[in-house]
Amino acid sequence: MHAESLAEARQRAQALRARVRYFHAHEMPAELARKSAQHEVLDKADYVQWMRLLHEQGWAIPHWPAEHGGHGWSLLERFAFEDELARLGCPWIIPFGVKYVGPVLCAYGTPAQQQRFLPRIAASIDWWAQGYSEPGAGSDLAALATQAVRSGSRYIVNGQKVWTTYAQWADWMFCLVRTQREARAQQGISFLLIQMNSPGVTVRPIATMDGYHHVNEVWLQDVEVPLENLVGEEGRGWDCAKFLLKNERTAGALVGMVWHALQRLWRAAAETGRGDDAALVQRIGELHLRALALEAMAYRAVEAMMAGTDHGGEASMIKLRGTELYQAVAQATIDVLGPAGVSFEAAGDAGGVLKDHLYNRAATIFGGASEIQRNIIAKTVLHL
Amino acid sequence: MDTDTARLLGEATERWAAEHYDLPQRAHRLRCAGGFDAATWRIYAELGWLALRVPEAEGGLDADALAVGALMEAVGSRLLLEPVLASAIISTGLLVRLASPAQRVRWLPALVAGHAVLAFADAPNGCVWHAGTLRGQAGAVLHGDVADAVIVAAHDAATQRPMLCLVDIAAGAALRRQAYRLVDGRGAANFDFEGLTAEVLAVDDAAASALAAARAEAAVAQCAEALGCVRALLAATREHLALRQQFGRPLGANQVLQHRAVEMFMLQEEVAALTAGAQQALALPAAARDSAVAAAKAYVCRAARQVANDAVQLHGGVGITEELAVSHHFRRLMVNAALFGDRDTQFARFLAGVQGGAR
Repeated sequence: MHAESLAEARQRAQALRARVRYFHAHEMPAELARKSAQHEVLDKADYVQWMRLLHEQGWAIPHWPAEHGGHGWSLLERFAFEDELARLGCPWIIPFGVKYVGPVLCAYGTPAQQQRFLPRIAASIDWWAQGYSEPGAGSDLAALATQAVRSGSRYIVNGQKVWTTYAQWADWMFCLVRTQREARAQQGISFLLIQMNSPGVTVRPIATMDGYHHVNEVWLQDVEVPLENLVGEEGRGWDCAKFLLKNERTAGALVGMVWHALQRLWRAAAETGRGDDAALVQRIGELHLRALALEAMAYRAVEAMMAGTDHGGEASMIKLRGTELYQAVAQATIDVLGPAGVSFEAAGDAGGVLKDHLYNRAATIFGGASEIQRNIIAKTVLHL
Repeated sequence: MDTDTARLLGEATERWAAEHYDLPQRAHRLRCAGGFDAATWRIYAELGWLALRVPEAEGGLDADALAVGALMEAVGSRLLLEPVLASAIISTGLLVRLASPAQRVRWLPALVAGHAVLAFADAPNGCVWHAGTLRGQAGAVLHGDVADAVIVAAHDAATQRPMLCLVDIAAGAALRRQAYRLVDGRGAANFDFEGLTAEVLAVDDAAASALAAARAEAAVAQCAEALGCVRALLAATREHLALRQQFGRPLGANQVLQHRAVEMFMLQEEVAALTAGAQQALALPAAARDSAVAAAKAYVCRAARQVANDAVQLHGGVGITEELAVSHHFRRLMVNAALFGDRDTQFARFLAGVQGGAR
């Protein structure tokens, strides 16, 4: 990328940040902003309201191809956008539709599939879930065993998915299933769209230590899926999965989340009268310094990706450093809050901070565990 | 100077050093008094490195932080011994900012031509300026052993404010100089100024702001030098893990070692990013500049030391030998961590900036 266009992209990213801050201050419903910033439980209606608000601003699908309604944001703009929202403590951009399955359909879907699904994804009319992990296929996703057998004009699907986020709200699930046994585990996998109200689909909640219902088991018993719900070629679903992963590579939200949590931590120190406690200030200062390093590294990585000079380990690095730092900040906040930090029923936002801390212990596990990310960097960058 | 020019300078420096500055050639130079080879220094002048900080109107190249960084990165990766940082960057930079016309004529052409070496003693607590004379001690002045003059940051007894002066050793200034070697092979000196007459460069606010700018410039240049060291350490370690066989397979086939190498890599990338950020921060207003630069050096300092520790560990016994560059990079980083504001000082400076509202 030429220096001029990078400078332009930086300028556009700055302008976008200003626009996001204005939206947050003046246009976003105050109650939604407050609940989110304090880590209160958001229900489906909150998230749908949020996603539709984003869509009204033109911010739900900016990364889609223009013919499907996107508007060609650079990687830097996408990153800065998510960073700024997270800094302000805005709700999570529910990714399953707009960030995951939407781009896959743009790239691999038939015109009929695109017409049928994309407008409803963009407007958050359908809620999507991701059917990837299985009891026997965690980090080793290609070991998945859920089976789809062709029978006339449909597949008959049998198996079990797990850790399926918000499956209890989902209308649809995009799902990796095995259609053939091949020598390489990555072959013979297909990408299917399954309607959640189909007979044979059972969703069972998994209780997690944060006391909230995020994740589920999804049981599939003789579920009939029309052949037209196959995305891409049969047996080539791994291509879609890899494409999806590549599309997910801009995790700007992590940088913003760290800053948001760090502000809360500095505030906690002040509110508990420990703003002058040298040992605590030193501890928070070290975390603050790590946040500066994360931010500098992340933006340099994004610019390298834009210039095509990336080494391929950038997304892994950002995830590793971002999630590990977020956890350290959250843990320090709980420590500073003391007894108030260890009850869901504490006054103010402490309960939300606790819930967030407990939930985010999984941040270094989901989306490729830290150890897997280190394997990826060792292989792709260091060639070890 | 733009990004491409800086990159070309870095590549040219690496090329020159690859040909003229391998470890045996470096060891040869180490045998010179003070580890300083005057002939090499004049080559640096011919290559233009000593003119980077000098304005074009005065025969220099007027280079920016990016170009200085490109040079310093090569200084770190190839472990150049000569006073590039102390003389060509910090001291020359101070003279360009502060020197009178007469002082400029006396020093700048000689510095650019490689006929003079300057050292910088940042000792505002140890040195007092009183009634036109300088008293006190300055310890561990990098390249003070071979310097023709030393710029001293002292404090003014009358105002208790900082002041900067120049002690012209070549002209026979009365001082005691105890010369010795630092653990990385570079020379240094302890100075005892016994009421000698020194030339004033700046007093009061002008001295304070020039001193802060020089400290920031030194820290940023040291970040780039550390980046060079870190890149060299990681490259050597990666190579070792890929080639060294134990238990019938390469060391690098062990996941625990892969993950340690990945940690080194991530530290390298952070050092690179923070260094680039600090180079840009040099153009900011003083308070923002000092906080950002201190943060960068505080992080880089610790990260680079960790990379050096891990490089030695992953190399095994050969990592602590004279024969491998690893042990020399280790020592260079160790020395740099102690010079021009150590980690604790930089961290405190950063923290003061954060608490002062930069957060």
